[in-house]
Amino acid sequence: MGNRRACIIGGGMSQWGVREASLVDMTQEAGKACMEDVPGLTPKDIDGFLFASSYAGRCSFQTNTAPVMAERLGLKPTSICARVDVLCAGGSTGILLAKGLVESGMADIVMVAGGEKLYTPQKWEVFYSELASIDHDWDAPHGLGLPPPYFALTAKEHMRRYSTTKEHLAAVSVTNYNYGLNNPKGQFHKQLTMEEAMAAPLVVDPLTLYDCCPITDGAAAVIIALEDRAKDLTDRPLVYIRGGAQVSLHSVSANWPGEHLADWAHLRKAAEKAYATAKVSPQEIDVAQTHDCFTISEIIEVEELGFCKKGEGGDFVAAGEINLGGKVPINTDGGLLSCGHPFGATGIRMGMEIMRQLQGRAANQVPGATIGLTHNLSGLNVEHTIVVYGREPLP
Amino acid sequence: MSILGVPVLENRYPVTMDMWPVEHKAFNRIHRFYEHLKEGRLTTTRCKSCSHTAFPPRVICPECLGEDLEWIDLPKEGKVLVFTEQVKGVPLGFQAPLIHAWIDLGPQSPIPRLLSRIINCEAGRLKEGDEVRLVVFEVPSHPIEIKKETITAERVYYAFEPKG
Ligand SMILES: [Zn+2]
Repeated sequence: MGNRRACIIGGGMSQWGVREASLVDMTQEAGKACMEDVPGLTPKDIDGFLFASSYAGRCSFQTNTAPVMAERLGLKPTSICARVDVLCAGGSTGILLAKGLVESGMADIVMVAGGEKLYTPQKWEVFYSELASIDHDWDAPHGLGLPPPYFALTAKEHMRRYSTTKEHLAAVSVTNYNYGLNNPKGQFHKQLTMEEAMAAPLVVDPLTLYDCCPITDGAAAVIIALEDRAKDLTDRPLVYIRGGAQVSLHSVSANWPGEHLADWAHLRKAAEKAYATAKVSPQEIDVAQTHDCFTISEIIEVEELGFCKKGEGGDFVAAGEINLGGKVPINTDGGLLSCGHPFGATGIRMGMEIMRQLQGRAANQVPGATIGLTHNLSGLNVEHTIVVYGREPLP
Repeated sequence: MSILGVPVLENRYPVTMDMWPVEHKAFNRIHRFYEHLKEGRLTTTRCKSCSHTAFPPRVICPECLGEDLEWIDLPKEGKVLVFTEQVKGVPLGFQAPLIHAWIDLGPQSPIPRLLSRIINCEAGRLKEGDEVRLVVFEVPSHPIEIKKETITAERVYYAFEPKG
């Protein structure tokens, strides 16, 4: 089986935002966009289906979602049909699992879809339900469900230790919002200025409005195919899933694995493993999608992913290194900050954007990009997931 | 209060949908943690075979898989390392200011740090380095069906508060 290689060959997403649509509706929109992105593909070709969603059980009162979604999409999977729940990393997890299924010989063509319907008929339920996202008996009773306080603590720690400033945080908001301007499916299309970002209303000190990703309804889907089948199905350049890693070292906040909250030891470990499996170095990454649930997250991620030294993330983003023409353009489709964040769909959107970048058809194209990376953190920063994509297969 | 259009839920409290643990001994094997809280003690389990202390408390030792565990007390006082105050948009069931602090329990503690809510503290009062102490409070009780009887299960939880 050594020669079976998995490629990402197409993808699509529903409109993201505050939607007048159910999870089942949005999954159909995303599935259609995805299948239409690979003109040679029909639902009959797809033998595996993974659906990433964490809130279907809570917000749509629907568990065992995979058969529901497969049926609505006209799929009749014969190798796998299952749901994946890793909250914010569910989509990327689905892609890593699909790689394993394809390369092991279990499946040939897998659709990885994901989505969340987070806006409930009464808004209080949205925020209340987030208490279910974290270690229930030990962190939720402290009111930690909604993430802003935890990332505000993280930002304070980073600011104190590394002289990171509010301007550094704002540089991430401005960059990502402006990347999102030409992404029609994203939640926001707002030209954000530095002045506006600096004057935004407070959420939890030091985080203000544009430091935090919104609550979002939406779905996305991609096709992961065996290299040989991919060659028959598409004329576009092949994009290989070269490697990846998913690291979980703790769950309850008391067992945080770093020296302090701005020290993300679990991400460092994930990066080390992902680069090793993909046989690339951080210097070889041409374009990345990192988990900008908060601006401070992206600043710490560029450090722990090895794009700059520890403590220099603020200067890295403010110097324009994440913009087109910079060292590593990041979140080129708008990221979580501008596209929004329907948890299970986010990693799929990221994978789709990296695929487009490596195929040379992205809206904000990085010229000549050949190696790209996606990164998700999930839950209360309890897990890190990385997928590395490349135009060339593993040597 | 009746819920319009949802008569099936009228006067019913879906306890599995709130943020507090189901603490009654009929529903977990670490209920002594909550019983100790009622005595004003913050405790966890230590393995008698390999001496490893784990938090939260367990029913197996994560180091050696031993099941012979004992309860030990954690410090009831600590120092604030870093904290945040949330004044807007606090989740249902919590009041503003919702204060979270990363607390140093001291070099002698087998669990060096805890993240906790700080209560009994007005906005703007807390500072880094402040000393805080354990505080135990009641949280909503709930009905529980045991065999053919429905009883009311009392619950508590913990936070920290400024010392002095
Ligand atoms: Zn042990």
